[in-house]
Amino acid sequence: MSIELNKIRNIGISAHIDSGKTTLTERILFYTQKIHAIHDVKGKDGVGATMDSMELEKERGITIASAATFCEWDEHEINIIDTPGHVDFTIEVERSLRVLDGAILVLCSVGGVQSQSITVDQQMKRYKVPCIAFINKCDRSGANPERVTEQLIEKLGHNAIAMQMPIGLEAEHEGVVDLASMKAIYFDGDNGEDLRIEEIPAELKDRAEEKREELIEQASNFCDDLAEAFLEEQEISAEMILSAMRKGVLSRKVTPVYMGSAYKNKGVQPLLDAAVQLLPDPSDVSNSALDLDNEETPIELGSSSEDPTVALAFKLEDGQYGQLTYIRVYQGTITKGDTLINTRSGKKIKIGRLVRMHANQMEDIGSIQAGYIGALFGIDCASGDTFADPKLNYSMTSMFVPNPVISLAIIPKDNKAQINMSKALNRFSKEDPTFRAFVDDETNETIIEGMGELHLEVYVERMRREYNAEVTTGQPRVAYRETITKRAEFNYTHKKQTGGSGQYGRVTGYMEPLSEGEFEFINKITGGAIPTQFISSCEKGFKSSLEKGALMEFPVTGIRVEINDGAAHNVDSSEMAFQAAAKGAFREAYNKAKPVIHEPIMKVVVETPTEFQGSVMGTINQRRGTIVGTQDEGPICVIESQVPLAEMFGYSTILRSSTQGKAQFTMEFANYHRVPQSITEELQKKKAEEAKKGAA
Amino acid sequence: MLKKDLMMRNPLRAVSDENGYILPEGGLGAVVARAGVGKTALLVQLALNSLLKGDNALHISLGDPVRKVSLWYKEVFNNIGVQYQIEKIDDLWNELLPQRFIMTFNIDGFSVPRLDERLTELADQNIFHPQMILIDGLPFNEQTKRTDLQALKELSEKFKSHIWFTVRSHRHEEPDSDGMPIQIAEFADLLDVVVKLEPQESDIRLNVLKGSGAISSQNLSLDPATMLIKE
Repeated sequence: MSIELNKIRNIGISAHIDSGKTTLTERILFYTQKIHAIHDVKGKDGVGATMDSMELEKERGITIASAATFCEWDEHEINIIDTPGHVDFTIEVERSLRVLDGAILVLCSVGGVQSQSITVDQQMKRYKVPCIAFINKCDRSGANPERVTEQLIEKLGHNAIAMQMPIGLEAEHEGVVDLASMKAIYFDGDNGEDLRIEEIPAELKDRAEEKREELIEQASNFCDDLAEAFLEEQEISAEMILSAMRKGVLSRKVTPVYMGSAYKNKGVQPLLDAAVQLLPDPSDVSNSALDLDNEETPIELGSSSEDPTVALAFKLEDGQYGQLTYIRVYQGTITKGDTLINTRSGKKIKIGRLVRMHANQMEDIGSIQAGYIGALFGIDCASGDTFADPKLNYSMTSMFVPNPVISLAIIPKDNKAQINMSKALNRFSKEDPTFRAFVDDETNETIIEGMGELHLEVYVERMRREYNAEVTTGQPRVAYRETITKRAEFNYTHKKQTGGSGQYGRVTGYMEPLSEGEFEFINKITGGAIPTQFISSCEKGFKSSLEKGALMEFPVTGIRVEINDGAAHNVDSSEMAFQAAAKGAFREAYNKAKPVIHEPIMKVVVETPTEFQGSVMGTINQRRGTIVGTQDEGPICVIESQVPLAEMFGYSTILRSSTQGKAQFTMEFANYHRVPQSITEELQKKKAEEAKKGAA
Repeated sequence: MLKKDLMMRNPLRAVSDENGYILPEGGLGAVVARAGVGKTALLVQLALNSLLKGDNALHISLGDPVRKVSLWYKEVFNNIGVQYQIEKIDDLWNELLPQRFIMTFNIDGFSVPRLDERLTELADQNIFHPQMILIDGLPFNEQTKRTDLQALKELSEKFKSHIWFTVRSHRHEEPDSDGMPIQIAEFADLLDVVVKLEPQESDIRLNVLKGSGAISSQNLSLDPATMLIKE
């Protein structure tokens, strides 16, 4: 498997849920002859689109986990990552974006830029992924690709420019006009596989000329030769336009817009051409790793297959034959039989079977070269691990992993379910760093934690379906935290004399609120008041006090502790004694420091037909929400708000019933805010009741 | 304490009446300037002044999305934080946030009756009652009618509020004989205060074209680096 780098494209398809990206992927695979029949997402034939590898996804008609698949087009090899569209699975989207060189942003020509498109777009910006846009569903009633292009400019700040013009819209959608070549393209055959190129219909000619001029004007910003030719009114070829646009795309200064209807088999092949012509190849993109031997200094990676190997495991899947690990090789080549190091664990790994994937089918290969995406069998690792040549101690940039905001107790039905549940939890926490599972020491219950209600629901569902683990779930719980609001001093002596050697330690200092970060420990002891060997015990003591705050037993964050004096005893002082002294000091100062409860606040964006604007705002208001703003867009209104997570349980049902099911919302973690006094009291009351019940 | 401190240092205090208002209830005020001189920045500071006083401010933007308007506020507020070396500005910001409401419309989608409808809805559900309304990007052209401004004034009276709006002027346009920008010359009698922002040497001057009381005699300017008002 050796191919020039400029013939490789690693692309993702990013989109809002329901904008048709799975259908688009399906069509791409059909036209590139990777599959032999087309299935619809919610297939009448019961087969489902090929990329939806999980049963659950098939049923819901959505793609939850990304699967990498390989296809060929115009002598280029394309690796496609099908990315999930829901915000609750953000980590999956972000991980996919990390390994991509370019992306196709799919938008619905009716719905336009929706709130989720904004989230996905922000993620693409964060990872600097160049993209082209595809406005899908031009056959739907209300289709308006021009409006969506404007929204790309206004709402997402893209310098979007149309590369095509639709020939007919809604039921009359027949094809597209290619503005670079000034030809009309029609899609014939049962599945649109036969392209018919013709002259532009007379009635569209003038408009097409105008649009082409706009396109050339934009493109000439990226190529002096084109600008010159344009000014001198010379003939301008399609190649000149495309080559200029490519420069613009690679520098992320322009977003070319394509259009069509994947479902009606229109516009997909020109989009594939565009992916090959405009999106970057691996050598166009610079990637860096962190040198772990050198204080994590960023190191620019080469893209040569001859360099020492660096690869990233970006996705794990449980297959029939064990764990399948999707990797992207950034430099060097991974060959069967190689030995590499997992730089996170330091463990050696021996490369066994190498494959490349097409949804649920796979093909064995001998090696994976730089710039390529493939999969390994039988490697034990976690998602996000780096595999490197033993000579290098590099790690690919670590991704920001937010702390979970919600938890749920799960109880297995029987012993068999218990075993299967453990297997599933083990797998899920390896796959998704935002999903965590642990056993509560006090209640002995298994608790799962994640980024939202739906996030956890999907995993519970997957447990049932994929692992045959029947579980019941408890009420979702919000991850509250405690923090202090005032500075408070402590001066605590821990003294115990119970025969034998005693315990003695005294710590003096203060605690104060810390605006950024969770915990800071400052040692200002001078003159050995506390011997150096016990300082770390003091820190340990304070740290362990953070696990449960005295107010409501929630974890404590945002606290700085400084110790500046103390005392020790020659015989009776020990590590244990100082840990106990620090714990006592924490208890002593904590209440004086006026602790308060903080709760996670979610950014909730609702899109609703304007007539329901009032009632939607009412639902937000009733949930202690703050409306940041409303965006009036004619028939649709977007309401942006901040709502405490604790108030958001079951919101989808409420929203559906108050808008006749016509509104949709997205929710993501925004920040932690102080809980109002009345709610704190309610929480305390509830806790007291629970304690009473537990005691009874 | 922090709030009070900020209000005491607020340069707009000098141009306000004893209750901290520049415009009377039901009044209209215009901020005139060429593109990019600082109309929105001034509007945001007028709003922040109102928020610090404990009043609610409704910011209407015709054209910019909510996210961009929010950014304006965050930016101006952070600049104030830096200028006055305030710590814990985030806490104060969270406290002020519920008092601000942003509404955005496409220019074509905006009309006074529509705004009235929205405000009534907000008031009926007890979601938001603005004491101050700011409208950024209101178009002034040949189609602008006197009745539009009158309707806006009535709305302002109905909601016991006052309205500030921006007017975009152009370099090549001469003002009328009273020095009023031509875009608003024929409605000048409906306006209580008109201020014009003009770049002058290293500053942006805030010239009062119309106004009575404290504002008429003031000499304010904007710092072009932070767009904050200085005395």
